Amino acid sequence: MNDDDTDSDVTDRMLLQRMSAGDRAALGILYRSYHGRLCRFLTRLTRRADVIEEVINDCFWIAWQKAGSFHGDSRVSTWLMGIAYRCGLKALRQHGDEPVEDDARHEERNSAPDLDEDRELRDWLSKGLDRLSADQRVVIELVYGVGHTLDDVAVIMQCPVGTVKARLFHARVKLRNVLPSLAGDSPKRSESAP
Amino acid sequence: MTFPMDSGKDCVRAWEMMPWVLQDTATQEQGAWLDSHLAQCEACRAEFAQQSRLRLALSLPADVPVDADAGLGRLLARLDTPDPQQAPLRPRAGNWLSRALVAAVLVQALGIGILGVKLWSVGGSPSYRTLSQETLPATPGTIRVVPDANMTLADWNALLHALRLQVVNGPNDVGAYTVAPVSPASTAQHVLQQLRTTRGILLAEPVAATP
Repeated sequence: MNDDDTDSDVTDRMLLQRMSAGDRAALGILYRSYHGRLCRFLTRLTRRADVIEEVINDCFWIAWQKAGSFHGDSRVSTWLMGIAYRCGLKALRQHGDEPVEDDARHEERNSAPDLDEDRELRDWLSKGLDRLSADQRVVIELVYGVGHTLDDVAVIMQCPVGTVKARLFHARVKLRNVLPSLAGDSPKRSESAP
Repeated sequence: MTFPMDSGKDCVRAWEMMPWVLQDTATQEQGAWLDSHLAQCEACRAEFAQQSRLRLALSLPADVPVDADAGLGRLLARLDTPDPQQAPLRPRAGNWLSRALVAAVLVQALGIGILGVKLWSVGGSPSYRTLSQETLPATPGTIRVVPDANMTLADWNALLHALRLQVVNGPNDVGAYTVAPVSPASTAQHVLQQLRTTRGILLAEPVAATP
């Protein structure tokens, strides 16, 4: 955990504390702060905007109810992601694991002002993610997208670290086999390690 | 696990390290080591380039438009609903099945209850009894009769038939039978007289209806 993560976790804990006392403004701040990353995380499970909003609201409903019983065994972000993951799975059971529909995706994309470069990158990514199971997509998102450690992902998905490692490994192998042929141009990012 | 690169331990180590270097959670030494390995390994360089592109693609904002303000508004409205425990529960497609099963169980329980009550009430007054039973319902006109031991069965049967009587109990330890009129039309006193005057009947006494 770096300094930024520590700071944001301290802020999140304070917000949770205020929420446990019934402070709705704190709920609003936490909601807005996590909305973007939860949206992106949940798009790995479903493409339906109504389901994504429902899951986010269920997640924050639970957070509101349980803010007082948060013991701080993990970071707030890990705790919230875990709730969102479980709510997401529940929503999938209710609404079915609907595959990504190309038409819907194009409509949505047209509504968002994407650069050509971003659009190309999204296409490249979605073709790779389509080959993965839901659990593999979630692990890839949590590790590469959100930046969680293996231990965090194990807490979020409520499974052993070894299972997370295996899912990550198989997802990477699948992506490695699928993505190079789809990549087209050379990577946009520097090859040097950060 | 079988690694997808035909290389030695360094490539395996590089493969495992890549996500954490990209996350910036690896140590500086690990980052430096990976840099030096990538400089001399083309396969790992290609892999790392792909991993970098993957991270970049995954860091793009969600392309499904979800309005945060509208969502928050609905959440806050949900907090104000009178029955907060029910609010997060959405109607499930499978709920009707559970409800139907519960209804079926309730109907069955109700049926069993009604049947039980009915059987209980019927069982309280059985419509039959055996001669070996000790207690005898004291019906009007019941007579206790002791025939002579030498009386033939044919004479005994003829007597009962003539007086329109039937055996409802006995014989007991002393050879006494309890007889009752076949139909209530028979006059108890008359029958009693007839029995007492009949040869071979040692005793004929009415059974009191109430002890």
